[in-house]
Amino acid sequence: MVGFHIPAPHTGAEPQTTGKVGLREYEAVYIFNSALEEAAVNEKLDRFHALVANDQGGEVSAVDHWGRRQLAYAIEDQKNGYYVVTHFTTSAERLPEFERLLKLDEDLLRYLVVVNEGNLSTSPAPVIEDRGDGEDEDGEEEDR
Amino acid sequence: MARHRKACPVCEAGIRQIDYKDERRLSRFITERGKILPRRISGMCARHQRQVGSAIKRARYLALLPYIAGFDS
Repeated sequence: MVGFHIPAPHTGAEPQTTGKVGLREYEAVYIFNSALEEAAVNEKLDRFHALVANDQGGEVSAVDHWGRRQLAYAIEDQKNGYYVVTHFTTSAERLPEFERLLKLDEDLLRYLVVVNEGNLSTSPAPVIEDRGDGEDEDGEEEDR
Repeated sequence: MARHRKACPVCEAGIRQIDYKDERRLSRFITERGKILPRRISGMCARHQRQVGSAIKRARYLALLPYIAGFDS
């Protein structure tokens, strides 16, 4: 298989290219300082997204505020962060400028921008029911 | 002695895509110290082991999962 054939993902999701040339779907996760009010967060998001949504038809398709939650470890001495997950489409050449703005923001503890392959959900993972079968627990004592 | 290879838990669960934000599901594949379980213990197929591995690393970066669990700095 030579060339640019990309095998379809095993997930069976439809290809993620939008109709327009050069646009891709991205997912961004932001962790803001938890001291920020929601209004301040929204104001910052608007500023970020102004860069995304410019010219060739990039747009923000979903914004999901997870709100305040505990960090698994301290970032910049903060134990909590305000999480926001967004989906957007934009062209790749806009990303450096977008990320530059993110880096400059001191209230943004951390961010992650990834290409959205398949269909990621923006909402926090639901609490999954434990099916209660103990047979998956093997090997736990071997982890040292 | 051929040992029966148990089925990949991700394939079996029929999860379409591994989401790095789903830290509850991912936490099944880390040790109590926060390490990624090796294949021989997780029982995952190569593809899913790889996907879960990257997902855990992303989740760690976003402080959804710890890099090292079980100690207080």
